[in-house]
Amino acid sequence: MTDKADFTASRLNRRSVLGLLGAAPAAAALAGTFGNSTPAKAATTGQLNIYSWPDYFSADTLAAYAKKTGVTPVITTYDSNETLFAKLNSPAGAGFDIVIPSSSWIAQLAGKGLLAELDHSRLNLASLDQDLLDRDYDPGNKYSIPKDWGLLGVVYDPEAVGGEIKTWEDFFKAGELPNVSGKVRLSDSGWETIGPALWLEGKNWNTATSDEIKAAAERVKAFAKHVKSFSSLDPNTVANGSIVLAETNQGTARAAIGLNPKLKWAVPGPFSELWVDNYAIAKNAANVDQAYDFLSFVLQPDIQLLETKYIGFPAAVAGLREKVGVDTPNADLIFGGKDLDFKKLTSFVVNPDTIDAYLQAQNEIQAAAG
Amino acid sequence: MSDRLQDLTSTNTASGDNLSAGGRVPSIVTHRLTDHVLAAVPTIWLALFFLAPLGVTVAFSFGRSTFGGVVFDLTLDNYRNALSGFYGATFVRTLLFAASASALCIAVAYPVAYFLARRTRRRRGLAAGLILVPYFSSFLIRVMALHMLLSRDGLVEHVLNTLWLHSGPLDILDSQTAVFIGIVYAYLPITIVPLYVVLDRIPQPLLEASRDLGASRFKTFVFVTLPLSRPGIATSVLLTAVPMLGEMVIPRLLGGSKGVLLGQVLSAQYLQSQNYPLGSAMAVLILITIALIVTALARVTKGFSEVGP
Amino acid sequence: MSAAAAFHRSLGKRLVDAGLSLWFVAALVFLYAPIFAAIVYAFNLGVVNKQTAVITGWTLQWFPAAWNDLSLRRAVQASLVVSFWSALISVAIGSALGYAMVRHPQRAVRRFLSALTYTLLIVPETVIGVSLLMTYAVSGVPLGMASLIAGITPMAIAVVALIVRARVLTLDRRIEEAAADLGSTRLKTIRFIILPQILPAVMAGAVMAYTFSFDNLVVSAFLTTPQVNTLPVFLYGSLQYGPSPAVYAAAATVFLFTLLMLALAAQIHRWARRSTLPRSDEPQR
Repeated sequence: MTDKADFTASRLNRRSVLGLLGAAPAAAALAGTFGNSTPAKAATTGQLNIYSWPDYFSADTLAAYAKKTGVTPVITTYDSNETLFAKLNSPAGAGFDIVIPSSSWIAQLAGKGLLAELDHSRLNLASLDQDLLDRDYDPGNKYSIPKDWGLLGVVYDPEAVGGEIKTWEDFFKAGELPNVSGKVRLSDSGWETIGPALWLEGKNWNTATSDEIKAAAERVKAFAKHVKSFSSLDPNTVANGSIVLAETNQGTARAAIGLNPKLKWAVPGPFSELWVDNYAIAKNAANVDQAYDFLSFVLQPDIQLLETKYIGFPAAVAGLREKVGVDTPNADLIFGGKDLDFKKLTSFVVNPDTIDAYLQAQNEIQAAAG
Repeated sequence: MSDRLQDLTSTNTASGDNLSAGGRVPSIVTHRLTDHVLAAVPTIWLALFFLAPLGVTVAFSFGRSTFGGVVFDLTLDNYRNALSGFYGATFVRTLLFAASASALCIAVAYPVAYFLARRTRRRRGLAAGLILVPYFSSFLIRVMALHMLLSRDGLVEHVLNTLWLHSGPLDILDSQTAVFIGIVYAYLPITIVPLYVVLDRIPQPLLEASRDLGASRFKTFVFVTLPLSRPGIATSVLLTAVPMLGEMVIPRLLGGSKGVLLGQVLSAQYLQSQNYPLGSAMAVLILITIALIVTALARVTKGFSEVGP
Repeated sequence: MSAAAAFHRSLGKRLVDAGLSLWFVAALVFLYAPIFAAIVYAFNLGVVNKQTAVITGWTLQWFPAAWNDLSLRRAVQASLVVSFWSALISVAIGSALGYAMVRHPQRAVRRFLSALTYTLLIVPETVIGVSLLMTYAVSGVPLGMASLIAGITPMAIAVVALIVRARVLTLDRRIEEAAADLGSTRLKTIRFIILPQILPAVMAGAVMAYTFSFDNLVVSAFLTTPQVNTLPVFLYGSLQYGPSPAVYAAAATVFLFTLLMLALAAQIHRWARRSTLPRSDEPQR
């Protein structure tokens, strides 16, 4: 009930009130208003609030942690990095301890002062996959520790598509086939739908200008009439043939292939996406000690292995591939397939100057499909 | 909006005031005080939690965006943006969507309301209760259950196949049809209630008189019943079309997020693009549009019916 | 009128009646099929913790699973608390508003209150949610249970006010005037004359405000925090990637609980009415 006390003792932000009253042109910069929300004072011991993607921790791991420490983490979910940013950047985000942003958004979140700098002495980073540390989206892992990684690829029914999909050109061509058209799923993320069109034109999605993004989006917009859905992909719909060609990650593809073995997975060329989801601690976290304790727990190699098998994405632990035994069905798929070429993968980084072009174009593509 | 009713009550009030003005001055003071308190409490509460937030939105709509922040200004750029190209087209498409979906709801609801109004009093209560009970279960779960019923290998597919109405797998999800089914499903009870209330109030002798004067059943319906139910229709439109302008759950769950509507574009400004001023300008424009439509609707149908039990 | 014409007429009437009955039944099937499905699916085994359209087997495991899911249980608890307080506040304020809209002595005030109520109805929920969040941000009010409850109330107040207003319009003014003539203060008149008459509408308003608050997604989605997360927001999050059948078990339980409470409330109301209220109230609707 501490919330109630806070509510009555409402502290007015003087600067913002002046800005509101004055409303003179460019009077008070309110840019900070959304950032400086107070940490919730519910700092009682034995609490941990995690803001995560849906279904991103196995129930077994959470139960084991609860048994060990007596603390059951409370998990709230979001459906996109943008939502995570918006929530964390508003007063409604005060009170989250651990968040799981993707590589694309780390810099923006840190730049807004929404993430706490990590104390590496409290975490054992030695056991992690060293290739996933010190990446350019967060040099020196100042704000983030890799959780797991994934790819943008395609799951498809080879019978319907009538061949193999090797490039994004193949993907767009296949979607136009009469028995594939209307059974295609595209991502709901702007850069994942437009990225393939940019790569086919030989452009880099991180350096493309707004005009180049808009031009590439035209191709996808013309393709939109073949699309059935942009909503999150339910593996059942691919398994039962409602959708026969879908942009997705390897985890969902593996789930679909588990239900229907005749389906195939591909990471098309010339380029595709590698994303890394990361543990981070919110700037205003009230339960910092608990957060470090939880991170140390889940970073243990045996827990990482358990999590990998549950979520279907490879946790960022060293030597994982050898540990995932033959008893795991379609184990190769967890790692994106046998012949995955890491040189052809690129990670997206949000740039405030061009992000709007991606998001706006995505809206237009979805509208064109309707 | 309900001028007629107010005119009626205002004459009553005047006479009431005269009566009590007959000499008991203290009574008038307490009289007034109680009435003022009854009016003031809701006004203050709504001023705090409704009007003030709207004011903030209006103020933000003239500001400039700093990607997740707002700098106050007096620019009209956001409005220019909100009315331009894609957003303008979305605006129009959403209005058309709301109009057709609302019309569909009324077409489905009208016979149900008509049926209810013609039952005897006891059975009417039971039947109306049956219509309202679904409202007490979680909306999202119902939509998800609908999703499963309509999916491949779902119950609807099997029933249609058994009845020879359809053969083979059913691919209705992620389409405009599925969105309309979901919309009618979600809004049916709230459409029925106002229609039922007005139909219930049409005096039976009026219909009998029409029949006695030689009008056919159909003509009586078109020339007597339908015009008399106009306020109910207006209320149903108000209660369905307005929320539809902001609808974003059903298109996402049943429509595959295709054919973006205003509700999605608006919330995307806040949740995706982090452009609060543009989102605020859109919100203000939506409000103005709705206010205009509602006023026009009230003119055409001469007021709204009561939404009551 | 000839006998043949009369027969024709009654045949037409019967056909229309049959058609209407059929339509009504179809509407009921349409409205109830998903509810029954949602309850049935609460017993479905599913595939690896996910709900499936095809029934893969029957089980009771999802009910304890729902209970053991801390986030889910906390969401249900938060929803119950939020909707209880929201309903209570909305009934008090909405009833006052509904009454004042009709009976306030000044016409300007009545007009203002009506305009306010209709404005509440026409503002899309997204706008309300976002505006509230921005207002809390600007004013520095930390979010929690109280701010969420306050944020949900405006629309619930409008619902209550309209229901109560409809009832007040049917009341006979002369009774109030007579009471005033006999020396009753305004407060006493409201307490002993008006309140008993509008009680059914107030209770209906309470039920509507409760369900409305319990089911609110859009405004809540903007205002919920890690400490206070409501059931619809939790559901919406889990629906994105295929929910567990435990979610259905929780929803089915809550639905049956709501129906039970409603039936109980109706029964109590009936008893109370039989024992206390005089018959004089009956002729009015």
